[in-house]
Amino acid sequence: MAFAVGATFARRYVVSEAVYEGFLATFGDRNPLHTDEDFARAKGFAGRVMHGNILAGFLSHFVGEGLPTREVVLHKQEIRFRRPVYLGDALDFEATVAHHSAGARALELAFVFANAAGEKVATGRLQVGLL
Amino acid sequence: MTIDEVLEAVNAVFIDVLGDPGIKLGPATTARDVEDWDSLTHIELVVAIEKRFGVKFTLGEVQALQNVGQMCERIVEKTA
Repeated sequence: MAFAVGATFARRYVVSEAVYEGFLATFGDRNPLHTDEDFARAKGFAGRVMHGNILAGFLSHFVGEGLPTREVVLHKQEIRFRRPVYLGDALDFEATVAHHSAGARALELAFVFANAAGEKVATGRLQVGLL
Repeated sequence: MTIDEVLEAVNAVFIDVLGDPGIKLGPATTARDVEDWDSLTHIELVVAIEKRFGVKFTLGEVQALQNVGQMCERIVEKTA
């Protein structure tokens, strides 16, 4: 499986009601920033701020299902949350192969999530092992 | 780069990747000598070293390495 440096993979992820409710039900983080509209607005946000780690779930999906091979394992991820994400946001995700090590059988990918306004809401890097 | 310069730079990569400022590598150092140098961090180390020196290893080269000194020798060869 060839992974040329510079190759990109793109897809769209939506922070739907089902995703949000599923995250709440699964992990139970009901901090008012994520669950109380009035609280979030009082703190200067446009509404309830979605959990940053919902995006980590999207990363899991991308690595497991979005690459040209399923013979992969996620070794490491770094993510920087740069702007708030709100319920219903559609996020354009793009990952670029930054390094391909045949010797280590691993890829490094740089990724970005952008909102509908084109603003980067999160950026980071993944290290993926090739099985 | 000389072999000593490469060893010093490799040492810095190990410190960064493994998060242990006390790491002091020598030519005979192996994974058995360094806490947290396991099969998973080995992959991270190889990737970091490739990026640090702008070199690429083949799978066969990595599998043949017996110690840090041999890795440094390969780096010297590849960067010459």
